[in-house]
Amino acid sequence: MRLIVEDDLHRSRLTVLLRLILAIPHFLWWNVWSILAFFLAIVIWVVTLIRGAPPVGLYTLQASYIRYTTHFFAYLFLAANPWPMFTGRPGYPIDLEFDPPQRQRRLTVAFRLILAVPALLLAVCFTGGGVFTYGGGIILTVAFFAWFACLVRGRMPSGFRDLQAYSVRYAAQLFAYLLVLTERYPDVDPASTPAVGVEHPVWLALEADLRRSRLTVFFRLLFSLPHLVWLVLWTVVALPLSFVTWITALAIGRPPRVLHRFLAAWIRYSTHLYAYITLAANPFPGFTGAGGSYPVDPVFPAPERQHRLLTGFRIFLAFPALAVNGAVGLLIIVSAFLGWFAALALGRMPASLWAAQAYALRYSAQVSAYVFLLTGRYPYSGAIRIPSRS
Amino acid sequence: MLPKVDPARGLEPKVVDKAEDFETFLRWSFVASQLVALIVLALYAWRGTRFTRESAAGRIGTGMLLGMIGLALVWISQLPFQLLELWWQRRHELWNAGYLDWFLESWIGLGAEFLFVCFWLLITMALAAVLRKTWWLVAAPVFVGLALLFAFVYPYLVESRAAPPEVRGDAVVFARRQHTDPVKVAVEDWSDFTSVPNAYATGLGPSRRIFLWDTLLDGRFDDREIRVVLAHELGHHSRHHIWKSVAWYALILLPLLGGVAWLTSRRGGLYTPRAVPLALLALVAGGLLLQPLDNAVSRRFEAEADWMALETTRDPAAARALFRDFTREALEDPTPPGWAYQALATHPSIEERIAMATAWERRNGAAR
Repeated sequence: MRLIVEDDLHRSRLTVLLRLILAIPHFLWWNVWSILAFFLAIVIWVVTLIRGAPPVGLYTLQASYIRYTTHFFAYLFLAANPWPMFTGRPGYPIDLEFDPPQRQRRLTVAFRLILAVPALLLAVCFTGGGVFTYGGGIILTVAFFAWFACLVRGRMPSGFRDLQAYSVRYAAQLFAYLLVLTERYPDVDPASTPAVGVEHPVWLALEADLRRSRLTVFFRLLFSLPHLVWLVLWTVVALPLSFVTWITALAIGRPPRVLHRFLAAWIRYSTHLYAYITLAANPFPGFTGAGGSYPVDPVFPAPERQHRLLTGFRIFLAFPALAVNGAVGLLIIVSAFLGWFAALALGRMPASLWAAQAYALRYSAQVSAYVFLLTGRYPYSGAIRIPSRS
Repeated sequence: MLPKVDPARGLEPKVVDKAEDFETFLRWSFVASQLVALIVLALYAWRGTRFTRESAAGRIGTGMLLGMIGLALVWISQLPFQLLELWWQRRHELWNAGYLDWFLESWIGLGAEFLFVCFWLLITMALAAVLRKTWWLVAAPVFVGLALLFAFVYPYLVESRAAPPEVRGDAVVFARRQHTDPVKVAVEDWSDFTSVPNAYATGLGPSRRIFLWDTLLDGRFDDREIRVVLAHELGHHSRHHIWKSVAWYALILLPLLGGVAWLTSRRGGLYTPRAVPLALLALVAGGLLLQPLDNAVSRRFEAEADWMALETTRDPAAARALFRDFTREALEDPTPPGWAYQALATHPSIEERIAMATAWERRNGAAR
């Protein structure tokens, strides 16, 4: 199953304004269809347990339901513009492509609901209360701010659209897994989602080493304590200095080089530490935030001239990014929670969880860099593949 | 010379037997756990340097990680023994809290130990960078200074409530009798976790405090016995035992750190993180070797505080009743074996304490 994104980012202001009202018929229809899909899922589950593969007719019907759900969610949460059809037929700008039904291992079919628990936990990050509720999490937070952006600009910000596509794709994969259409586990790796892939001056240099020491994983939180104490001390100094940076940048049009370097080290250090705590990286980080010293390492641009007006209102401008970052932060926490058990059992971090964490850490570093004037470029929330150091 | 006394007088034989059984189990559990800890640390000293690859931090950061890993391994090795001891204490109704509470407490305690060892390594490794082989000569005064600071600050960190007015009143009267300034008395709530009675004196100068556990005030001990406890703790303050303890700590610390520096020198000294596992082994082994000396000092202070309590309350009968109640309520073995007494006992035995009360009585007569 693949997500196809052919959306041109254009939005009709009128339909955006009335989006919730216009979605009511779809909302009703989706509920009715969901009930039908639930009972069909039970039938498919029984048949697949017996035959080892879902029946083609029911598979096609359930695939249409998931495709329709994707269209409806994309429309409701502003990832796409046109009013969707009620049939789930292909052709919508945010669409799904299904492979033919394939054989599934009966054991994974029998215990499907239990096996789905980690994926359901991750789904909470995207949809808030769960896939069967209608809001919260990343998707609603982004939709809230995107609504204003679309009304003002008549265009959906590409980062927001790509993040919504990422959320919708994960929900579709989870539906397909729960409804026994596939045994392929939902993949939280953001790189699998088609995206614009905007270049950003703040990026994350990564070493994709997934090996984890079980001993340090088990005690990870406690091992982080000296770092947390140090981070608090560093923050106590950094916050007043960031205010000085802001005043100076307003006066001379760019942040002073020495303060830029200090704040970059502070944000780099906090990123190293978060990566360590959340198991996105294995080694114990250093205390200085030195660039190039850690496998998950944010890279910042040199001090640059920034528009004084944008600098003056930076904290207000950053508010949507901070809110989205808060929602994305839950993804790091849940991934860390699941990754803790996985790393203890396997001695390595699951690649898709690691990729999701790397994405979230990259966005967090971009938000911090924007707030603390290391760059004038707005954070890009799209789930692009992150350039890798190795 | 203390008179010969029968510490079991007034106690049912089965209570004495129970106390002996209880402490015997804990003693052997302690011996076994220390042996295991030493073996684990020896293995860690031998093979632990491989954990340096788990660090992207510099010299001191990597040393901190190795220090924490060493403590974590010891913690894991001690879990079975601690669980066994907890089970034993719960069986004897001395510990009320559940296993989960105990585990959380232990986990939080381990976090505090991690912070402590990191701070310790920060100081020693930083000094080793400047002074190389002679770091311990400067580190010892630094740690003694920190111990003084901790002794001063500790009373402010304890969660407590004011003691009952009559106890505070007694504290004022006793302070006058012991020719010392009044000391604040507070109560710590422990009854949710344990039924073991306890009290201690802590603090320096304006932070001097006496903390009584609420298990001492739950009606099992009468007012006269509580006065003996209060006078005993006040005796620690009036005889400056906290200061003297820090002085002894300094005396013990200097050769201990010197030993650590000498032992680790073959691994590049504490300048290098590779020496940290060996330093941990040396510290724990040295600490165990020096424990009898430390205990002897502690017993001397406790005996002096007992004498001060007798001089202050002039109530040897209450003191004897209190010490016998320690056997009844806390299952303290009245006559521990010699080796256990030397290796583990921080207080005189119940037998010695009763004998001291009797000796005081013979010298001064029954005052009450």
